[in-house]
Amino acid sequence: MSILELNGILRSYERGIPVLENVDLSIEAGEVVGLLGENGAGKTTLIKIALGLLHPQEGTVRLFGKDPTVHPVATKRRVGYVSENQVLPPQLRIIDVLAMHRELFSSWDEAVELDLLDRFEFTGRERIGKLSKGQARRVAVICAITHRPELLLLDEPAGGFDPAARREFLEVALQFLANEGSAILFSSHQMNDVERIASRICMLRRGQKIIDQSLDSLQESAILVTAGGGTTAHLQSMRDIQGCLSARLSNGELRSVIMGSRLEVDQRLTSAIRENEPRLSAISLEELFIELVEGRP
Amino acid sequence: MVPPSHIHITPGDDAPIYRQIVRQVIAGVASGDLAPGERLPSLRALAKALVVAPLTVKKAYEVLESDGLIETKQGQGTFIRIDAAKSKQKASERLHSTLRRLVIEAEVAGIEPHELQTLIQQATQALQTERRTKGDRA
Repeated sequence: MSILELNGILRSYERGIPVLENVDLSIEAGEVVGLLGENGAGKTTLIKIALGLLHPQEGTVRLFGKDPTVHPVATKRRVGYVSENQVLPPQLRIIDVLAMHRELFSSWDEAVELDLLDRFEFTGRERIGKLSKGQARRVAVICAITHRPELLLLDEPAGGFDPAARREFLEVALQFLANEGSAILFSSHQMNDVERIASRICMLRRGQKIIDQSLDSLQESAILVTAGGGTTAHLQSMRDIQGCLSARLSNGELRSVIMGSRLEVDQRLTSAIRENEPRLSAISLEELFIELVEGRP
Repeated sequence: MVPPSHIHITPGDDAPIYRQIVRQVIAGVASGDLAPGERLPSLRALAKALVVAPLTVKKAYEVLESDGLIETKQGQGTFIRIDAAKSKQKASERLHSTLRRLVIEAEVAGIEPHELQTLIQQATQALQTERRTKGDRA
């Protein structure tokens, strides 16, 4: 059984303007799925639907085989969640917040709690309201993983972290993964972080899933084709090529991402494009992200 | 044992991280930095040191193992194979796909076959010079 199974999800906040359209996503134990997409692509909405915090207008959600909006307690018990703008009660101390969570979750692991407090250099007596944004985030992370969830949902977990704190957070996430049978779905704009821990990439563009494949195969099969002297006719013929994910004109240069081996991609180029001496190259995840956002059809 | 610090990765590179690990171990064996019989860090230790998912290191080790460069001994760990540098058959198989990519890339870039040969010779010489200077220092 999959940990999470989304099928044909449709969600719009305004009639006729879908934020998510026909999105499928399934996550198996052991997977770390990086959810990518520009701001407004639907990442937060997708995570909230997975958790049962939002209802989809169409489609089904199965979290551990159950509908999380019908079985909120049974499913949420097995999930950890860090939202983009976590709000914890400012007047409480960290230990008070943790005590509340301990009451809620029978699987709360005090050894993990102590380890994380120590790692993040908290005494526990600090007032939430006095913490920096990054420190408050760390408290949210402790709350999300100390009950040893089977699925960790992280919405921009490293937002507001400096590079050292991001590294520390990645170490904690990797340590969490050591629990067999657990999975992570996280949205992030930090491509280097995504590369370090994700096994699979799911990318949304304007509410539609445009990429869902293993990170390794994505990196090995995405080819950037650049050619000078591009016209809108070239642009169109690029878009018609099999496996084309994006194409755009940038300062007279044609830039396009096509999936396939170098040889296959080379063979698919039309003679009109060949005349402009196209160059084929591998592409980093960050460049890929930019091309897909900028070069949408 | 090889300290994990011998292996470095660069997120943001064109190559996947597992491929970067594979390349560095191959380069290490080729340069002699990694001696036959030397023990590699465990999956977990290397994953922890590099701050990457253990699955990524596992994939790199699997590729290296199927290429005949390393071997895992039950309960003892993972080692550079004694015959790693000599395993010519495996090496040619491995090189075949790399060379194919190289040839295609050269073709696409308009580099003539004889120019490519010169480039390969230059790279070989550079490596030899590098080794000599290393030897001098040692």
